Amino acid sequence: MERKVIICRCEEVTEEEIREAIRKFNLKTVDEVKRVTRAGMGLCQGRTCGPLIERIIAEENKKISKVQPFSKRPPVRPVKIGLLAGKEGEIN
Amino acid sequence: MNKVVDVVIIGAGVIGCSIAYNLAKKGVKVAVVEKKIGLSFGASGTNHGGCPLQLFEPPVLELARESIKLYKDLSDQIGYDVEYENVGSLVCSVNEKQYPDIEKHFRKKKEEGINVHLIEGKKLREMEPTLGKDVVVGVEEWESCTVNPFKVNYGFAYAAKKLGTEFFFSTEVKKMEIKKGEIVSIVTESEKIKPRFVVNAAGAWSCKVGEMAGITVPIIPRKGQIIVTESVPLNKRWRQISDADYLTTAFNLEAVKKSKDPRIKLGVAGVFVQENTGNWTIGSSREFAGYDNKVTITTVRHIAKRAIKFIPKLKEINCIRIFAGLRPFCYIDGLPIISKVENPGNFILATGHAGEGITLAPITGKLVSELITEGKTSLPIEPFSFSRFKNIKNINKTPV
Repeated sequence: MERKVIICRCEEVTEEEIREAIRKFNLKTVDEVKRVTRAGMGLCQGRTCGPLIERIIAEENKKISKVQPFSKRPPVRPVKIGLLAGKEGEIN
Repeated sequence: MNKVVDVVIIGAGVIGCSIAYNLAKKGVKVAVVEKKIGLSFGASGTNHGGCPLQLFEPPVLELARESIKLYKDLSDQIGYDVEYENVGSLVCSVNEKQYPDIEKHFRKKKEEGINVHLIEGKKLREMEPTLGKDVVVGVEEWESCTVNPFKVNYGFAYAAKKLGTEFFFSTEVKKMEIKKGEIVSIVTESEKIKPRFVVNAAGAWSCKVGEMAGITVPIIPRKGQIIVTESVPLNKRWRQISDADYLTTAFNLEAVKKSKDPRIKLGVAGVFVQENTGNWTIGSSREFAGYDNKVTITTVRHIAKRAIKFIPKLKEINCIRIFAGLRPFCYIDGLPIISKVENPGNFILATGHAGEGITLAPITGKLVSELITEGKTSLPIEPFSFSRFKNIKNINKTPV
């Protein structure tokens, strides 16, 4: 893979930035890569870049047998705050 | 493996890492033990990164004031950008009846030496067009900041490591060996560490760590849920906005107990922080649900409803993520515990920061390092002492 390749398209994070962060902080999980680089923090929440980051971590850190994927959080798809709030007076 | 160090810190959150950094800076040999695989998997990774000075009450206010000052040059000091931004803060109300409370808040903050301004609703909307028509009055000040909490956690850890601190991840403390009123070793699955001092900075788990040392640390996990939105253009003036109800839900446990409002019961008061990237983080809530950190729709609905009341345009903005974190809450008085313990004599507590851990991390690290190396602190910490629980009967009795 070319170093300038963008891995996270939502947040425009390059492969080089991700590898640098992994080396600097000895990152072992995709969640940590996200926290340091913002990869996976965008609209798609790591659906595209998650598996790629897992592969990069595995390449950088040969000792890890299985890379922990992104922690899963709601919502599955982006949803308007207005929809989350529901109608006036409605709660449950 | 047997290891000898000066200080073992249990917990690598912002509090533990700040303590590690401050000690390492003084040449102290530190080991940090963390049960999770990496950093920010607890409360340090599930918050807004907001440090709103005007929301602090004495005696914590003095700590917050000093801590926010320390944040100013933290990035330079640790050699890592924690994204400090002097964004100020606005506390406002959408309830006409709250007007006297806001005025009272304003006068009190002024007396406390914070440069606050009271601004009417109409004027507020002129200054910040995103605020809704329901907003009646607000109080602003410009000492407050926001930081990137992840960067604070990683930055402190990085700087501590460079100064020789050792980190043990995926390492849970199993046992403490105590002899003659002193902790002589910390036992984990893979390590046995012999320290001179042990610091309990285990956040919502600090009560469990306390048990291992034979003491009751009156902390329970308090759950907070936060909605994250997509990135939108930055607000013109205020990017750290709080609902006046926060003063009740965060600090007045009695009022929450008495309230019949289901929103207040869930501890929901609006806190809206717009990150430098344009994403809004929308909170806040306070629930006692044990160690369950799942997102719940009822609470989220209350938070979202409240958000739209203050900033109506949020209605049309996408939520991309919702998370919940567990904060260490002292169920006796809601105050932090920054203190030595009488027995074991080499045990130090740095916990109970509740929703204020990010704001208070720099000062807590400084004070605890002073406590260990000098035996005294540059700010008074008596209000946060462990001995304040001495005469509490049924200290084990939690509110839920």
